[in-house]
Amino acid sequence: MADTRNKQGSGKARAIYASKERQDEWMQAIADRLGRPRITEMPQHPFRGAPDFWRAYDLQQEERINLFMNNWTNLGGHAFRMSSMEEVGRFLLDFVRETGAQKLLMQRQPELMGLGLAEALHDVECTVWDSSAEEMIDEAAQADIGVVVVDHAAAYTGTIVVLSSPDKGRSTSLLPRALVAVVPASAIEASLGPILKGLDARPKDQLPAGVHFITGPSRSSDIENDLTIGVHGPGIVYALVVG
Amino acid sequence: MAETAGSSVKARSKQALQDDFLRKAVKFTTERLKNGKRKATEEHGNWEEWRERGRQIRLHTIAHLDYYLNLFADNARKAGAQVYFARDAAEAAVITREIVREKQARSVVKSKSMVTEELHINHVLEEMDVAAIETDLGEYIIQLAHEPPSHIIIPAIHKNKQQIAEVLSEVAGERLEPDTQVLAGFVRRKLREQFLAAEIGMTGCNFAIAETGSIVIFENEGNARMCSTLPKTQITFMGMERIIPSFEDLEVMATLLPRSATGQKLTAYMSAITGPRRTADGDGPEELHIIIIDNGRSRQLGDPDFQELLNCIRCGACLNVCPVYRHIGGHSYGSVYSGPIGAVLTPALMEDPSEWQDIAYASSLCGACWEACPVKIPLHDMLVYLRNRKVESGTTPTAEQVMFKGFNYMMSDHRRMERFLRLGKVGQKFVARDGYIRIKGPLKGWTNYRDLPEIPKQSFRDRWKELQVEIAQQPRPKTMIQDIEQRMRKVLEERSKGGGSGGGHQE
Repeated sequence: MADTRNKQGSGKARAIYASKERQDEWMQAIADRLGRPRITEMPQHPFRGAPDFWRAYDLQQEERINLFMNNWTNLGGHAFRMSSMEEVGRFLLDFVRETGAQKLLMQRQPELMGLGLAEALHDVECTVWDSSAEEMIDEAAQADIGVVVVDHAAAYTGTIVVLSSPDKGRSTSLLPRALVAVVPASAIEASLGPILKGLDARPKDQLPAGVHFITGPSRSSDIENDLTIGVHGPGIVYALVVG
Repeated sequence: MAETAGSSVKARSKQALQDDFLRKAVKFTTERLKNGKRKATEEHGNWEEWRERGRQIRLHTIAHLDYYLNLFADNARKAGAQVYFARDAAEAAVITREIVREKQARSVVKSKSMVTEELHINHVLEEMDVAAIETDLGEYIIQLAHEPPSHIIIPAIHKNKQQIAEVLSEVAGERLEPDTQVLAGFVRRKLREQFLAAEIGMTGCNFAIAETGSIVIFENEGNARMCSTLPKTQITFMGMERIIPSFEDLEVMATLLPRSATGQKLTAYMSAITGPRRTADGDGPEELHIIIIDNGRSRQLGDPDFQELLNCIRCGACLNVCPVYRHIGGHSYGSVYSGPIGAVLTPALMEDPSEWQDIAYASSLCGACWEACPVKIPLHDMLVYLRNRKVESGTTPTAEQVMFKGFNYMMSDHRRMERFLRLGKVGQKFVARDGYIRIKGPLKGWTNYRDLPEIPKQSFRDRWKELQVEIAQQPRPKTMIQDIEQRMRKVLEERSKGGGSGGGHQE
């Protein structure tokens, strides 16, 4: 296929729009418009990031946990504090039994694999994310519950952050009706700032394809301003803070 | 986009004003959003400092746009995306068509994107016989109703539950109750099938991070995540000015945008997408195409009056506070972008602004838009510049031109003006009743909707001498906002240099 010869698609009509010449032409036109030569060195950016007073914003771990859980609850989510992963396991068993869930999907994360859910739930289909399987998206679409361990959380906004990887599908936190997010207490930052700075600091080839900040359940106010929960993404969202 | 009836703002707003529900719905919604914003900004605190920081970041990025846009394109390619530069709608269509044909796509799922509306991408797909499915709940509803969006954040703001139930019942083939849960539930099921079947997902882009080549999308429903996770091919359309330097800068935008748009601390989803899926990943698109759009934007670069327009983060806060928008609704503006931002942006993006400039008159110049703007764009000033340009281009009606020539003649000599005022005081006796003039004649544009006060017995000019003494005795007020004061000083300076003609635009 033509694709393999050139990533930008040589031999295709659209290749001219993706060419280096076109890019240079554009940048030169911008510089001309701005009435100065082209800038190719990184400019001084004195206003980078949040204002100074905000950089100083921080909370003790207990305060972070409380604020995160409060915000998550106010958004229409449910938040519980748990002392260990065993407690998370027990919660999941109860949740599956009480809701009559038929299918549960979880990320391939050691914390979750260690729960022994598949063994405990005989009559429930328990799937672990498998990037080599063809039909993972369909599996996720059919799942009642998706379970993830989050990478980060931010107390101030009530946000969890999940990063994609071969072991962590983007669909797990998106397609099932209910999302159960395990939030290690140590992963909760006071605000978004440190998490975003962490993304800047990563080597470029180590940024995941998808970094998703999730703040409460899926919602819409498009019909007469009437709040609807769970329009496309999960409407039932649990945050289990562990530690 | 289908244009609404009538060719001028006046004609279109007449239609809107007759639709009682529309007016009430717009008022209700904008008030809710406005109050939500006020609450969120007060709660957060230091709002002015955040606004100023947001403005500085946008100003800095636009001032160095060649550097940052170039960096973004290079980094996005390194991450595996295919990046295109499209000058206008026609070029964007060529690129889109070729990708759609190559993927042999039968259906495309789209998340909300003003840019694709601007480029008429749905029309392009329609011509190819490819289904273009809007997946944002509001967008889906108005697409089925064949209507354009009327609010940047809540596109179906003008439709009530009964009307929505009618539209959706037709698709369902059964009667759906006008109940929000029922209607939203139906759309969820219906669209879930479409997400899983579509070959291509199309999205807009709120911000693009130059240093990492990532695109960032804010949304509440999760449909943009669907469009960027499930189909094998993703096409993202982005205005060339959407850039910010770093993720660190995103914290400021993530503080300003949701609070200004809906009063939320953060939207339910904020997704940063860097390139297509990695080889070993189990989901995400195999190909990511990013089409960067000019379509008139670069014309604002280097233009002292309009460059700040590129700072806009498309939050819709200016719509929610605008007294004119709240009365006439989004459709009256006759374009994709409505409200104060639309009144300026639409003509600014046009190559031949003369046909669009009447929307610059759909404003009372009260400045509420500027106060609400999270990046402090002086929209009300821009509206004046636009009107000024229209007058300079000589496309105003003859009657108006004659009237202002007369005005100019009268005002350019104080003795002449006094004579005219004396004449007016005598002449108005035939038309003024109880202190007001109500006749329709040459003044009907004004007197149709309000009464013109008669010329008073003692005028301001008559009182000037005593007023001058009074003012001299009072201390100078210090309440003027620094920005405005500086701008006015600049105008005065330029005027004293003899270059300007009243602070208007100069080429």
